[in-house]
Amino acid sequence: MEPLKPETRARILDENPQAAPEDIDEYERLLAERFATDPELPPSPEAERRESRLAELYRKLFPQGHGWLSHASPRAR
Amino acid sequence: VLAVHSVYFTDCPMPTVRVIRPGDAGKPDPFTICVISNPALESPWKSSQFQADPITNDEAGFDLCVRFVEQALFGLLPEQAEPFLSDPGIAPGVRLVSLFVSGLEAGDVNSLVAEDGVSDLLIARRARFRPFLERYGLIADVAYAISQSDSHTRPSAWPATDDDSGPGAAFTMDGATFHHRHRCIVPGTVAQHIASVPLTALHEFGHALSSYSNGLIVDLYEDGPPAVNNRHGRPIPERFAVYDGIALASDRKRDGLGYPTGWRSFHCELNDPSFPALMDNYWLAHDGIPEHCQHDVVTRRFLLDRVRAKLAR
Repeated sequence: MEPLKPETRARILDENPQAAPEDIDEYERLLAERFATDPELPPSPEAERRESRLAELYRKLFPQGHGWLSHASPRAR
Repeated sequence: VLAVHSVYFTDCPMPTVRVIRPGDAGKPDPFTICVISNPALESPWKSSQFQADPITNDEAGFDLCVRFVEQALFGLLPEQAEPFLSDPGIAPGVRLVSLFVSGLEAGDVNSLVAEDGVSDLLIARRARFRPFLERYGLIADVAYAISQSDSHTRPSAWPATDDDSGPGAAFTMDGATFHHRHRCIVPGTVAQHIASVPLTALHEFGHALSSYSNGLIVDLYEDGPPAVNNRHGRPIPERFAVYDGIALASDRKRDGLGYPTGWRSFHCELNDPSFPALMDNYWLAHDGIPEHCQHDVVTRRFLLDRVRAKLAR
């Protein structure tokens, strides 16, 4: 998973006063955990809790959706 | 580009297969990396709702992306410090193939990438890759699907599911025996955006070449699970691990970034201690040039040993 750019992290916090740095930390950690778990294994309660929590954090961090994010622009950095 | 070869199929509209690097032509199944234009997006992930991926109308953009993937993997990007597959004992054996295809039905069997419902991540639909490639006579060890999604731009990757019933090269990690398997059941898969920074292809390859049963390479910018390149413990010990009989030191400073308070994770010694590891947050390179970042010691050794084992099959 591509790392989050520092400017993106700062903008998430700037645009969402209800979001805390700890929320982004947890959100990013849970996203990364997804890929460290063999997806061919049967769904576990832990995985279901993770996805549920990710949905909660997504709504908190991106109440208007993530349309303004762009991980795709820096080729011309 | 060492060779270009186009093949046209009558049952699928306009597919173009290009052999960018032939690899070891003397072998029936040389170690192979495939880069594919994603025909259809599942949106959101696991919804069974599909739409055509806009990349199917941009063959020139796809070809440019393939070039960037090749440059990143073989250490050819401007300013790139990580040599990776450029090792003269490795590079000639690696086969790199691109597949551009358009006009396929936007359905389950043609969808290699999904748009995550709770992030801007592109997610590889890993189980679809092998049967999709087989339709074109291709087998991949690692495969990239390139998307031009309008809304999701962040790449991600799944490690491979090894064929643990088959042969491989044994290795030890802290006394336990594992194998760099010659073949996989599910290839390592990457979902990447057409406009992603090229270095990201190298970062994602680190995940995709690793294995759920024989060693994971995880992101180092999170307090992640124990893996080949990540250990847990405080205080941080001097020794990170013993890989195949070689004692490797810990990176006690995390390349100057520092380990956040409360983390359990610590990492392996770096090849260049002045820059973050490639599996860490390379955007934080102190000079602002991510291409100056290299893999840490255990990550590079593990990944290149895995490639060598597959080259030897």
